[in-house]
Amino acid sequence: MALLELEKLSVCVEGKRIIEEASMVVEPSEVHVVMGPNGSGKSTLLSAIMGLKNTSICGGRILLEGRDITSLPSYERAKLGVSLAHQQPPEIKGVKLREVASAMIKKYGCSDCMILAKTLLVDNFMNRDLFVGFSGGEKKRTELFLVMLQKPKLAMLDEPDSGVDVESIDLIARSIESLRSRGTSVILVTHIGAITERLSRIDKVHLLIQGRIVYTGSPDEVLPVVMKFGYRKGLEILTGKGERIEH
Amino acid sequence: MSELNTSEIEKALEKPAPYGPDIDLSKYKLEEAVVEEARDIDPGVASAAPRVGLEAGKLMYVQANERALYTAMAKALSKYGVLVLPTREALEKIPKARELSWRLVNPARDKYTAAAYLYGGEVGYFIYVPPRTKVPVPVYTCLAITTNNTIQFAHNVVYVDEEAEANLVTGCAIPHGVKEGVHVGISEFYVARNAKLTFTMVHAWADGLHVRPRTVVKVEEGGEYVNYYVTYSPVASIQTYPVVYLEKNAKAYLASIIASSKTGVYDIGASSILEEPGASAENISRVVARDESSVYARAEIEALESNTKGHIECLGLLLSPRAFISSIPIITSRKQGAVLSHEAAIGLIAQREIDYLMSRGFTEDEAKAVLVRGFMNIDAPIPPTIKKQVDQILDMVAKHAVG
Repeated sequence: MALLELEKLSVCVEGKRIIEEASMVVEPSEVHVVMGPNGSGKSTLLSAIMGLKNTSICGGRILLEGRDITSLPSYERAKLGVSLAHQQPPEIKGVKLREVASAMIKKYGCSDCMILAKTLLVDNFMNRDLFVGFSGGEKKRTELFLVMLQKPKLAMLDEPDSGVDVESIDLIARSIESLRSRGTSVILVTHIGAITERLSRIDKVHLLIQGRIVYTGSPDEVLPVVMKFGYRKGLEILTGKGERIEH
Repeated sequence: MSELNTSEIEKALEKPAPYGPDIDLSKYKLEEAVVEEARDIDPGVASAAPRVGLEAGKLMYVQANERALYTAMAKALSKYGVLVLPTREALEKIPKARELSWRLVNPARDKYTAAAYLYGGEVGYFIYVPPRTKVPVPVYTCLAITTNNTIQFAHNVVYVDEEAEANLVTGCAIPHGVKEGVHVGISEFYVARNAKLTFTMVHAWADGLHVRPRTVVKVEEGGEYVNYYVTYSPVASIQTYPVVYLEKNAKAYLASIIASSKTGVYDIGASSILEEPGASAENISRVVARDESSVYARAEIEALESNTKGHIECLGLLLSPRAFISSIPIITSRKQGAVLSHEAAIGLIAQREIDYLMSRGFTEDEAKAVLVRGFMNIDAPIPPTIKKQVDQILDMVAKHAVG
């Protein structure tokens, strides 16, 4: 049984359709990459799968291990194993990272959380207010840390490679490998693709343009074309409407 | 005391306070004031103490209605020269107590101070800390109203002598079953040169209780006063506006955490008067209002001299559409070179923050409790032992605030 299935999922934000009939099947331990230009709806798609209140489902279904979770609140989805590393998590004054992490450890249990914290270099800011004054890299690593505390079946990472230094990208890539090795499926959203070069295995790449998944293929097929020609021209090539690329 | 004009004080029995609902004190019964040695902690106090984070066995002064009780714990402090005893006893035995009593609080200030002066029987606690003595443990006191429709007066006098340090923790509460009453607490605190007093007070009342604390603090040159006040229970009304006078280079940090509920009126302020150069004050408040409660968060800093500094921060969260918060910060400068500022904001819990925590697996109520708890976190300069206790109380407050 597939871990996640999107069946013609349409997503609205403030009454406007942002995602149009997106379909996707993610099997256990697979790594999927969703790429697309700015404003194409990548974050909206992940928010809708997570069940965030800023999005509403205006068509289609979301199935997790065959169960329809389309109308479940986000915390129920989290309990079922869905997690999201937010692109821009909110700064929460007064609430320490330690307090949130402790509460999550109580919920999900944790045998290696201190190792995780050290590996992701977040152990030094446990006593800081959550995301307040964090650098780009600190935010991304903290998000990944919190995602890993959830022991998710599905980890959705929204542009973990944007606005961070090379060292952080390496660290994040290693964490994605670690998630996969634990059996977690990953949906990785990126629009620059820097992190894809550092992953040993990617199962599928989806191109999301103007709210539609317009192409799904293997990384060897899609990534070199998109990296060289960009999204629109790359899509023309991939769909046979433009020139072929020599490997 | 001899200078006080009794007829003026009697006239003040009819004088309402400028803020807060006016209370008819004659509706409440007043027990005879007694002072006695506590063989066992009064059961009413013992059941009320945990509501304000206190352990009955650690209390050094206990008051149930108008019964002031010595405890063995208070005697344990005598080896440091620290005196903890009922004010009435202190007034009889200790000249310093007589010298200090009713010097900072004017009995004719309003009907509550006048009634406390005329009928209060001088129960309450007197604490004296000798010069250069750092009291190694917090001084825990608890005042409880243990029977219905009773009025409780307390007159507390504290003197922390030069270069001494003390941490005083006072809990005021009622045990389960007490529904109505009035508490009038008069507090006169003296912090001598280069001394430090940290005063943590927690209130846990009920929706039929009226509470009228009257506090004045004098901080001498180089002294430091930290006030950390928490109230989290329903109450009919509470009105307080402590005033702190600060001499040269003296510092005050006044923090109030107010979690209001039901139909209670919470009129809670704090005023700092920067009397001499180098004096500084911070007045901080956090208000979390739910149900149909009304909160007036007042704060005032007045600079009488240059080279003084003051900051007010009043932040409020409305958790109900029928609750009400009014934030009233006042800064007054009478000399150039005083730096005063204020920041006030009232809002709702940010939906985005709730959504974020829900995506981490917190239910909506759990997320709100985490955010309210975080909102109440302030970095007050209180000792770690007290901080731990306060944190436990704030955990309770956060749960209570979101229902």
